[in-house]
Amino acid sequence: MKKLLLIMTSIVMVTGFAFNVQADPAQDLRAFQDFYKKKFPDVQFDDFGNGIYALNKQLRDEWEITMEFPPYELTLDEGKRLFNKPFKNGKTYASCFKNGGKNIAQNYPYFDIKKGMVKTIELEINECRERNGEKPLKYKKGPIVAVSAYIHSMAQGKRTNVQVPNNPAALAAYNKGKEFFYARRGQLNFACIHCHGANAGMKVGGNILSPALGQTTHFPAYRAKWGAVGTIQRRYTGCNKQVRAKPFKAQGEEYRNLQYFHTYMSNGVPLNAPGTRF
Amino acid sequence: MKLNSLISATFLSIALLTGCATTPMATADGYKEAEAAAKEAIKKAASVGGEWRDTGEILEKAAAAAKSGDYETAVKLASKAQHQGELGYQQAMAEKGAQPPSYMR
Repeated sequence: MKKLLLIMTSIVMVTGFAFNVQADPAQDLRAFQDFYKKKFPDVQFDDFGNGIYALNKQLRDEWEITMEFPPYELTLDEGKRLFNKPFKNGKTYASCFKNGGKNIAQNYPYFDIKKGMVKTIELEINECRERNGEKPLKYKKGPIVAVSAYIHSMAQGKRTNVQVPNNPAALAAYNKGKEFFYARRGQLNFACIHCHGANAGMKVGGNILSPALGQTTHFPAYRAKWGAVGTIQRRYTGCNKQVRAKPFKAQGEEYRNLQYFHTYMSNGVPLNAPGTRF
Repeated sequence: MKLNSLISATFLSIALLTGCATTPMATADGYKEAEAAAKEAIKKAASVGGEWRDTGEILEKAAAAAKSGDYETAVKLASKAQHQGELGYQQAMAEKGAQPPSYMR
């Protein structure tokens, strides 16, 4: 009898463990979003894209006043101008993106099965430039952010719709991004989830920590700290530095995979980029 | 027999403690040794994505101290960088396969 019990227990532990490790993206998504819905029952699902302004009325009121003259406007205008400005060969960015770049940002990042890698809008902006005989731009700030902000703005209101195809390489990229999100790093020994999970809504150094759900929908975003519009990967760099970890290269594999997982977790939240954060 | 065991254990403990805490001498050669060990530790941490933010800067400060002839500071800083490199590596290895916290499963 004891032997039987031991065998049964072992089977449950082993299969239970395997099930846990191999939790598929759809299960992860459900558990992730359920956590935030339960933690913030008064926040409407679509409002998670507004970050801390969905949690704090006073900050929201101030933010809404500021949004009458959004500080990203000049960057957005510049992005539109650059997007429509012909390259030396006469083509424009629109020639490189599906539907001329309209209503596509909600599907990014995506896993390119042929190339075996996660593709972001910024990465494809530079690929577009190179295909058309132009030099690639620097990532994180400057003209690339303006063009990306404009492409994102053309998908405002579209719900985040990142797909993880049933492909081993795509799943591997997703799992790497997931591991990054949950792994402690840096001298402070913090993972992304430690600030933006159970502690979301709490204060650190006078700042309210935003929930991870909806964080990706408003990037590229103007941040008062930057005094400029920047990409989400620039924000990752800042987060990593804050926990005293050495940041990774923008658009390198680590941050692209992280962005893939992170954005997938916000599936269903409408895009509202460019955003503004103070 | 008991006395012999006690003496052996004491010597072993001392050897272990001092052995673990040994730092290179505060000399030019000692610094070179400490710098090489730190670089190796940083490289190992970086190979698993575990390098910490300030480690490289600490090693740069160590180099500056060595340049000015302050080998005591140089060795101390290089050893600190080595320690951070080792901890960064251990941390990254421990976090392999990190999963959502229990409240999010």
